[in-house]
This record gives sequence, C-alpha cells and structure tokens, in this order.
Amino acid sequence: MSIFSCMSLWVSLSRNCLFLSFALFSSGLCCFSLWLNSLGLSCWPQKYRAVVLPVYLLTTIVIMLLLYVLLFGINMMSTSPLNSIHAITDNYARNQQQKKYQEEATSALRDIPISEVNQAFFREAKELYTKN
Amino acid sequence: MEDEQSFSDICGGRLALQRRFYSPSCLEFCLSCPRITLRSLTAVTCTVWLAAYGLFTLCENTMILSAAIFITLLGLLGYLHFVKIDHETLLIIDSLGIQMTSSYASGKESTTFIEMGQVNDVVINEAIYMQKVIYYLCILLKDPVEPHGISQVVPLFQSAKPRLDCLIEVYRSCQDILAHQKATSTSPEGGDKIISASNRRSHSGMGAY
Repeated sequence: MSIFSCMSLWVSLSRNCLFLSFALFSSGLCCFSLWLNSLGLSCWPQKYRAVVLPVYLLTTIVIMLLLYVLLFGINMMSTSPLNSIHAITDNYARNQQQKKYQEEATSALRDIPISEVNQAFFREAKELYTKN
Repeated sequence: MEDEQSFSDICGGRLALQRRFYSPSCLEFCLSCPRITLRSLTAVTCTVWLAAYGLFTLCENTMILSAAIFITLLGLLGYLHFVKIDHETLLIIDSLGIQMTSSYASGKESTTFIEMGQVNDVVINEAIYMQKVIYYLCILLKDPVEPHGISQVVPLFQSAKPRLDCLIEVYRSCQDILAHQKATSTSPEGGDKIISASNRRSHSGMGAY
C-alpha cells in the first residue's frame, strides 16, 4: 500500500513539473520568434507544434508508461496469490467476539467461517449449482 | 469402482475426472489436463524459426539458424519435463492423510503428502487470478496455537484449474470422507454421553468439532 502511495505521489509531482516546464517553453518560443529570426535561426516548425508536441509527449508517457505499465502492474503485483491466508480470513474475522444467541431475534452480524459457508452453498443447496 | 466424467477448465479446455472409490474411507480423484496440441506446437515452432530467419537476414550468420533449432528442441524437452502437467491426482485416506501427485508430460511425478492431523478442512474458495475471479479447491491446515484457526492454505489442481461443477463433485466426496473421519475419531468421547438430553448431545458434538 505504501509503495503505491509513493508511486502515485511521484507520478503527480513529475507530471506537474513537466507541464510547467513545457508551458514555459512553448510560451517563450512564441514570444521570441522575432528575436530568433534576427539571429538567423529562421527555419522553425509551425508555432502550433510548440503547443501540441508537449501534449502528445505527455499523453504518450502518462498513458503508455505510467497507466498501462506501472498502475496495472502494481495492481497485479499486490493481488494476493491463491495460497495466501488473506483470501480466507483476516485479523478482524479471527478476533471477532462471539455474540450470544437470542431466541426470536435476528442473528448478529458476523464474519461466517469459510467452512460453514461452503457447507451451506455446496452440500445443502444442491439444486442451485447444477451442471450447465 | 471407477467412474469417469468430462468437465471443462476455466479456459474452456476439456478435462477428464476419474474417480476411484476404494472404500468408504479411501477415495482417489485423477484429473487429466488438456494435452499439448499440434496446432500450438506448430505455432510456437514457426514463430521461433521465423524470428531466427529474420535475425539471419540481418546478420548473415548461419549459426543463428542452428541455434534456433537447438533452442526449439531443448525448449520443448524442458517444457514437457518441467512445466506441462499431464494429470493431477488427489488421494484421500481417512485416517492417514491427503496426497497430491502431479505427473508431468515427460513422466516425472511430484508428490506432496499432508497428514490428517494437520488438515482443518477442504473448501472451495474464490479468488482473483490474473484478470478473472476463479473458484478453486484448497486444503486449510490447522494452526498449532489456536484449535479452530487456519495457518496455511494449500490450493489443489493448480494446473488443471477445473470449473465449479467439477470442484463441487470433488468437494462433496472429500467432505463425506472428512465427516466420516471426524465421526470415527470422536466416537470414544461421545460414547458415554449418549444418555444425556439431545440439547447437551448437540452441544458436545459441536464442541468436539
């Protein structure tokens, strides 16, 4: 969990820095075209490119690298494997207090152990899970 | 007594479940995985050789082609010996324990045995696997510290990955044997409580469980 929060913080910070730097660069380029012309560097691409290229770059980096690779990768890495105890129970369910049984009252809310759930689903209610 | 049924795994491939009923306290399940098909073998070989030929046209070195042939052969042998599982067997003996055997396509067998004293229960659990949610059968092992706690989870039939209908068959038979085992293991303690009222008997039964 902590590595995920660090990654998301780093992602947002780096994205903001990149945005700021490219915004400054593109605005500066638009202002100084006359000055650059006088220096002799006249063959530049259209000014529209100065605005659009940073957006293209940012979209590619953010979506391809950060979203598809890092975010989905972190999600898959932090899924518990099939042999983990976290798929069965957790600290809350283990340490919950046993509430007293009261006649004619709705049973209290609790985490039912997986053995009981399985007995109820797969042994007693046979007609629900027929082969299809 | 032998019984064979056909099921499918989570990807849609065909599985065959063979059930051997030796006695009320001993049962064996053999689940055979879908075999390696000629189509997949041809596809992999063609991609490797086409990639090698592409490299060869770039580098003009004929060793690449021979290396590709060796890689394909060794890769296939390694895959059959270390990765591809032909069938998985689950043998439950009431008083002894549970044995899982995986037989690889090359004939290698790998066996795991869990004694009955360590087994808490056999359940069907759902979990996230890659991009799906699948049902799988697993053995819950007892916690040495806490009597009804669970210390470890051992998933079964990991290579075959059958669907829920197959799992329910295996689950019901396993539960019959485990219930039979619990009944026979607790009968010396329950024998002297037969005279008590039905309420007390049910409570003592739950306590023993």
